[in-house]
Amino acid sequence: MKLEEIRLKIDKIDRELLVLLQERMGLALRSKKFKETISDPDREEDMLARVERLNLDLMERSFTRQLLKTIIEESKRLQEEDRPLVAFQGEHGAYGEVASRRLIPNGAYIPCMEFNDVFRGVEKGYFDMGVVPVENSLEGAVTQVNDLLTTTELNVIGEAKVAVNHCLLTTEATDYRDIRMVYSHPQALAQCRGFLLRNKLEPCPYYDTAGAAKMLARENPRAGAAIASALCAELYNLEILKAGIEDGPANTTRFLLLSRKPYDQGGDKTSIVFATTHEAGRLYAVLRLFAEADVNLTRIASMPLRTDPGNYCFFLDCEGSALDEKVAEVLRQMADLTISMKNLGSYPADTAM
Amino acid sequence: MKNLRLASRETARHTIVNVSDVEVGRDLVVIAGPCSVESEEQTLITARAVKAAGADMLRGGAFKPRTSPYAFQGLGLNGLKILAEARNETGLPIVTEVIDPRDVSWVAEFADVLQIGTRNMQNYSLLKEVGRARRPVLLKRGMYSTLEEWLNCAEYVLSEGNPNVILCERGIRTFEKYTRNTLDLSAVPAIKELTHLPIIVDPTHSTGRLSLIGPMSMAAVAAGADGLMIEVHNNPEEALCDADQAYTPDMFADIMRRLRPLKAFLTQEPCAAA
Repeated sequence: MKLEEIRLKIDKIDRELLVLLQERMGLALRSKKFKETISDPDREEDMLARVERLNLDLMERSFTRQLLKTIIEESKRLQEEDRPLVAFQGEHGAYGEVASRRLIPNGAYIPCMEFNDVFRGVEKGYFDMGVVPVENSLEGAVTQVNDLLTTTELNVIGEAKVAVNHCLLTTEATDYRDIRMVYSHPQALAQCRGFLLRNKLEPCPYYDTAGAAKMLARENPRAGAAIASALCAELYNLEILKAGIEDGPANTTRFLLLSRKPYDQGGDKTSIVFATTHEAGRLYAVLRLFAEADVNLTRIASMPLRTDPGNYCFFLDCEGSALDEKVAEVLRQMADLTISMKNLGSYPADTAM
Repeated sequence: MKNLRLASRETARHTIVNVSDVEVGRDLVVIAGPCSVESEEQTLITARAVKAAGADMLRGGAFKPRTSPYAFQGLGLNGLKILAEARNETGLPIVTEVIDPRDVSWVAEFADVLQIGTRNMQNYSLLKEVGRARRPVLLKRGMYSTLEEWLNCAEYVLSEGNPNVILCERGIRTFEKYTRNTLDLSAVPAIKELTHLPIIVDPTHSTGRLSLIGPMSMAAVAAGADGLMIEVHNNPEEALCDADQAYTPDMFADIMRRLRPLKAFLTQEPCAAA
């Protein structure tokens, strides 16, 4: 190895050290929800002793002890800060994190493997809030999330519309001519279907866009590339081969902010999920209530009921808050016309796009 | 010419190739820019200059077919990214050469027009590949090729389903050594007799002499060419290829001021009083 190569390796290791530390700090913040007090001297002594038993001959024990102490101090300081824990699905750099930053600017953003982990984690109090994608302008409803919304006790307290700009990312060592497999979340792969077809690339579903970028950076699979945000290129030190590879020019995803407590300041938008009996004119009767009360609908979508094949539930978003008399009256009448109905919550609308 | 099922004059009236807002085959279309993309700065400066002078499209090579394997081979994909950036800023559509069938789909992701260079005119696998791309093709005449061979190459692209072919006369090899090649301007009216495809002229590579580019540009327009492709470099002395035949932005602006009035004069209705 020559100096240049050695330095490149050192830079790479420094980068990975910091990324790992960031992950560690996230875990420390999560641990706070299970503890009475932030400081736990027994646990600290235990950790320091364990590291001292490690025989790392290049590093003095006093140095490793000091290093770990510094990390522990910083993690305690972070826990004191009392930032809200906001869970999103995916790895750091995921579009869910972009939405979380927009909705809760001072939060600590916690990556989760599955949408289910976000819902259950918030329900059980492991996290303060959760951010999940509900629909995309090109692909429509995110079915898993919509399905979870039908059963959750959580409230929707906000929304964010995030512009999705997919990039094809590779490691520096990869020649674009060798790329065959493209890893990403199935939604992202679907949004870039045309690009993949044109360039004869095979879509490989991965649990998350940012997760695919992270995997690419760590494992560098042969002939592989990933579809993720430009933020991921920065976070995982990848090259943007091409930006804006999605099929439609206006690709936005709408995210919902979930919380155990409802939004208590009114809001200007309301989300409802309901089901009607299988009779002629039932859905019409519900929609007529909104029309007659002059309440504008911003979304109406149907989804098959998993528990009851052949039957559907409906997602409906309307303008106005459930605290407004007009909307409240519609909801009261609606309850009589449906077999199940749930008010997910009223919240401020994102008017950015 | 009996095999020209799609390219021959009889099969269609007059093809207009649409590239964004530019209609090749209707107005005089001028494509200008550096021989190769050398850096972001050089490309953007040149792009702004040719746009200001009235060019319709930007040219620039990212993949260069060079006589010597040791000469600058182009920036490759990074060159394409720079060209795409220049388009975002200036709005000029991008014309760039593709030399390898494996690169066609990638170049098509960044460029608006795929150029087939003179050395690749009869590279049939490359022609088939661009025939399947969804971008117009600028097909340069091979420097040793007859009109019939050239049109058969256009036929290759058309027969794969891509109807948008622009022909480009760029000079042929003769015994004359004063000019780099001999610009065959008779090809322009001849091509118009033989095919419905638009034809443009490259006065830079054909003459290889700065002093001849202006007169031959005017002559090409007079001969009925649908457009011109002219090399312009913001600093020709430091260009990495074809340094001695690139126009400066000022020279380009000067010829542009003369070309449009000439075209207008040639296409005006005959005056009743005359």
